[in-house]
Amino acid sequence: MEDVQVVAMLVRRCIAGDAAAWEEIVQNYNRRIYNICYRFAGSADDAQDLTQEVFIKMYRTLSSYDSSKGAFVTWVTTITRNLLVDHFRKTKQDRMTDSMDSTASEHEDAQPLSEQIPDQSAPPDARVRQREVSETVHQALGKLSPELREAVILRDLQDMDYREIATVLKVPEGTVKSRINRGRAELARLLQRTYRQVM
Amino acid sequence: MPDHTRNGMQCNEFDLLLSDALDGVLSGEGLDRFQAHASTCSTCGPLMAEAEAGRTWLKGLTEVEPPASLVNNILASTTGVDTQRLRTVARAPQPRVSWWEQVQASFLEPIWATVRQPRFAMSFGMAFFALSVSLTMLGVKPADALYLVEHPSAVRRTYYNMQARVVRSIDNSRSVLQLNAALRFIKRTPPAEPGPSKQKERKNDTTQQPEQKQERNYSQTGERLILASAPLGPSEIDASSPELPVVSVTTYRRFV
Repeated sequence: MEDVQVVAMLVRRCIAGDAAAWEEIVQNYNRRIYNICYRFAGSADDAQDLTQEVFIKMYRTLSSYDSSKGAFVTWVTTITRNLLVDHFRKTKQDRMTDSMDSTASEHEDAQPLSEQIPDQSAPPDARVRQREVSETVHQALGKLSPELREAVILRDLQDMDYREIATVLKVPEGTVKSRINRGRAELARLLQRTYRQVM
Repeated sequence: MPDHTRNGMQCNEFDLLLSDALDGVLSGEGLDRFQAHASTCSTCGPLMAEAEAGRTWLKGLTEVEPPASLVNNILASTTGVDTQRLRTVARAPQPRVSWWEQVQASFLEPIWATVRQPRFAMSFGMAFFALSVSLTMLGVKPADALYLVEHPSAVRRTYYNMQARVVRSIDNSRSVLQLNAALRFIKRTPPAEPGPSKQKERKNDTTQQPEQKQERNYSQTGERLILASAPLGPSEIDASSPELPVVSVTTYRRFV
């Protein structure tokens, strides 16, 4: 995605006050950051707010980026991940309250995803079916623990290599691989249970 | 994950190699050992199948499209300007601006824009009118102000003159004079006897007779007044003496 020197130049221009350079950075990275936020937070509204927060933080700390320490995309993803973790901690209390209010438990054994999805008997339209499947997988992703979720998002949705993920998550590469394996397996179990209920 | 050893490979090692195997980068003897362990281990075999299925599900997720307003919102929240303006500013050459024009643009123009408001002009006019009327009433003239500027020692004298003028104008006002006259009248009048005042009695006088006579008439009905204030009610009074004088109405009013 990025040529190191081009991005470094872009960052330097931006630090020097070039508004057009900042706009270029925003244009280049907003889609990626929005998708990470959307897959992690689960809702489009939260994703939009979080994406804005990420760019605000980037704008303020752009001068701290050191191209010799790593790629710009890794730096951006690290900022995004840190903000997502903060957001998760902040909203944890709300989610606990919600789960207490709801009649059914959010635990995977207590309520399969099929019960939370409106109707699986979709019309024969392939696009509608595909959208429903994507929504089901997206919901299942939200059921994973944050550690497993962020690992599979960065690997399978953002195509980052294990070393970059280890840098972003600040854990050893072996831990990254283990989390990815467990995340994928957990997701498959959730979805199998869902579709078994439907069939 | 349990640490069982099967076909020369531990489960922990299998876990580390699982990602590489699914990515297709595992080959040779390592791949053989991996596959042999997967086929015999009751934990790692299902794990591999589930991880592969999960990976397939995730790869099926497509990128979502960000909202169209996202970039504008980000630029507005970071640089404080919208994209269109940003582009215009970036492309247009910036003309040189003198310091006076900068002062005008940043300081004078906002003030002038406020002053030009009709509401502000009206308020200013009213304030000026009120001030000029107040100064005129106090007798302040522009010439006095100039004199004070030239002779600062005259400030005290001017202050006392103005104070005396204000006191005189208050003392000579009609209401103050009326109040003083009323106070003097009260001081001269001897203390009033208990009972109803003559002023009030005079209000009911419709006979146009002299004042002394009027007093006499009231004294003639004095006995009736006592009867009216007796503990017996009016109905019993009527029963004992059916002919009550007409002035009894006035009597009741006086004793209530």
